[in-house]
Amino acid sequence: MSAGEVHLERLIGRKVHDANGKPVGRIEDVLAERVDLECVVQEFHLGPYAMLERLSVRFNRILLGRTRDPIRVRWDCLDLSDVEHPVMRRDGRDGRDGRVMQG
Amino acid sequence: MKRILEIALGIVTGIGGFLEAGSLATAVQAGADFRFELIWSIVLGAACLAFLVEMSGRLAAISKHTVADAVRERFGFPFYLVAISVMLLVSFLVLAAEIGGVGLALQLVSGVSYRWWAIPVALVAWLLLWRGTFGLIEKGVSVLGLVTLAFVVGALQLHPPLGDVARGAIPHLPSQDSAHYWFLAVSILGASISPYLFAFYAAGAVEDQWDVSHLRINRVTAGFGMGFGGIVAIGALVLSGLVFHPAGVKVESYEQMPVLLTTSLGSWGFPLFVASLGIACFGAAQEIALTSSYMLAQGLGWQWSENLPPAEDARFSLSYTVMIALATIPALAGVDILKLTNISMVFSAASLPIVVGPMLIIMNDKRYMRDYGNGWFSNTMVALITALAFVLALVSVPLLLKGG
Amino acid sequence: MLLVRDVLDKQLLDRQGHKMGKVDGVVLEYGSAGPPRVLYLEVGAVTLAHRLGARIGRWASRMAQRLAPVHHESYRIPWTRVRGVTLEVTVDEAVEETRVNVLEAWLRQHVVERIPGSRR
Repeated sequence: MSAGEVHLERLIGRKVHDANGKPVGRIEDVLAERVDLECVVQEFHLGPYAMLERLSVRFNRILLGRTRDPIRVRWDCLDLSDVEHPVMRRDGRDGRDGRVMQG
Repeated sequence: MKRILEIALGIVTGIGGFLEAGSLATAVQAGADFRFELIWSIVLGAACLAFLVEMSGRLAAISKHTVADAVRERFGFPFYLVAISVMLLVSFLVLAAEIGGVGLALQLVSGVSYRWWAIPVALVAWLLLWRGTFGLIEKGVSVLGLVTLAFVVGALQLHPPLGDVARGAIPHLPSQDSAHYWFLAVSILGASISPYLFAFYAAGAVEDQWDVSHLRINRVTAGFGMGFGGIVAIGALVLSGLVFHPAGVKVESYEQMPVLLTTSLGSWGFPLFVASLGIACFGAAQEIALTSSYMLAQGLGWQWSENLPPAEDARFSLSYTVMIALATIPALAGVDILKLTNISMVFSAASLPIVVGPMLIIMNDKRYMRDYGNGWFSNTMVALITALAFVLALVSVPLLLKGG
Repeated sequence: MLLVRDVLDKQLLDRQGHKMGKVDGVVLEYGSAGPPRVLYLEVGAVTLAHRLGARIGRWASRMAQRLAPVHHESYRIPWTRVRGVTLEVTVDEAVEETRVNVLEAWLRQHVVERIPGSRR
C-alpha cells in the first residue's frame, strides 16, 4: 500500500464493519501520542461511548452506575484502503480480534 | 469600589437591556388580553435567563471562551453550522423588528412614517458600532435604557391591586381562549430568554477580560440585573392590564401604546414612551447586530473585538454591517412591525434548544470550567430549562398558527 | 491526546497569541509501514465544505479555484510547528506571514478601508 493522505475530519462518523461484514461502530475519535516532533496514531475509538468521551461527558458514570469504555481499535487493525468503508481486521501477528483488551 | 461600580453597571445593563420590541409588545398584549394572568411567564422567563446568563458569564470568565466558541469546538463544524444558521435567521427577524421599533418611536414624535426612518436609524446604529468601543455601547445601552423604568413608575401610579398582581405571578391555566393564552406565554418566554442576550453577555465578559475574581459580580449581575429587568416588563404588562383590559382594547400596533404612559404619568407620558421605545429598541439592535458578528467570528476563529478598529477585524466588522443592511429591508418595505415582532419572538423561542442544550455539556467540561463547573443544582436548572426549550420549540409554530 | 476532542475544530493561535482561525481539518499520512502520523493541520473554507459532503466539497473546490486561482487551496500547517495543545492549539507561525488571512486582508484593503472611520 503506497502512503496516502487521509482527512481525519472526513473519517469521523464512518461506520466500521469487521471482516465478516458485522457492524462494529462509528469512528468517533483517534488516540494519538506525541513522539518528539511527530504525532503518531495509536488507536481508533468507536461507538457511542467514544462519542461521550469526545464530548467530555462524565454523565455515564452517574447515569449508568459504572464507566463504559469506548471500543478501541489498534491502528494496524483498521483497514482504510476504502476510506468510505473502513474494515476492522484481525491482527495477523497473534490472531487477536482487532480490539484492544479492556482492562 | 471598582467592583461596586462594575456590579452597578451590570445590574443597570440588565434593567436597561431587558425591555425591547419583543418583551414590550408581548407584555402589553398579554396585559390587554389577560390582565395579570400571564405575569408568571415573565417571572419564569427572567429566572431562566438569569441562570443562563450566569453560566455563560462563568464560562467566559474561566475559559476565556464563549458559548459560540465552545459549540464549534465541542460539537464540530457541521453542528455549529446548523446552530449559527438558526441563530442568524432569528437575529435577522428580531433585528428587523428592533429597527422598526425605533422607526415607530420616531414616527410617533415626528409624524413621518417609520419607513422613512428605517435607513437613518440603521445608519446611526451602524455608525456607533463602527466607531464606538464595547464599553461605550455597553454603558450607553444600560444607562439610557433606565428610561424604561417609566413603565414601573406608571404602573405604580395607577395603584394596581397587589393581590391580583401576586396571583398572576403564580403559573396557572387560562380561564378562556387557551390557544391565544399559551401563544402569548410562549412569546413572552421567547422574548425573555433571548439567546442573543446571553451570547452578548459572554462576549462582553471576554471583551472586559473577566477572570475568576469576577465570578461573584457575575452572579449578582445575572440575578439582580435580569430580575429587575423582568420587573420592567411586568410594569408594562400591569399598566396594560389596568388601562387596556377593562376597555377591551385589542392591541394591534405600537401606536396604541403611548396612552399607557399618558394615562399614568400625564404630559410626561408621551415623551417617556417615545424615549423608552426608541432607546430600548435601538440598544437591542446594537446588541443583536454585534452578537451575530460575535457568534460568526467565534465559531469560525476570526480575530474579533468591538474594541478593535474595523480595519483590524474586517470580517467581523463587515458581518454586522451586512446584517444591519439586510435587517433594514422589512421596515423599509412597510412590514407591520407588531406582527413582525410577534413572529420573531416565536422563532426565538423555537431556536432555544440549539443554544441551551449544548450548555448542559459544556458547563460540565473540565477543560473549560476547571473546578468551576456546574454543581448538581445548576445542572438541574439547565436540564429543566433545556426541557422547557424543547417544549417551546415544539409548540411555538403551531401556536403561532392557531393563537397568533 | 484525542485528535477530535483536543485538536479538530479548536482555535489556532500564532506565536503571539493572535487568532488564526480554527483547525478545520487534520491530514493523516496513511498506508506506509508503521502507525499513521499527523502530517498537517488544515485551515480553509474548502476543507469545511468537504465535511458537509463530497459533492459540496468538490463544488467548493471548483469555486475557490475560479475566485482565487493562486491561493485556492486550504492553508496547511505541518504538525512539527505545533507548540502546544491546551484549550487552543498554539503554532510556531506568525499570522501575518501566512495565507490564512487572505480573505481578511482582501476585505480590509478593498472594502473596509474605503469606508471612512475604519481606523478610528
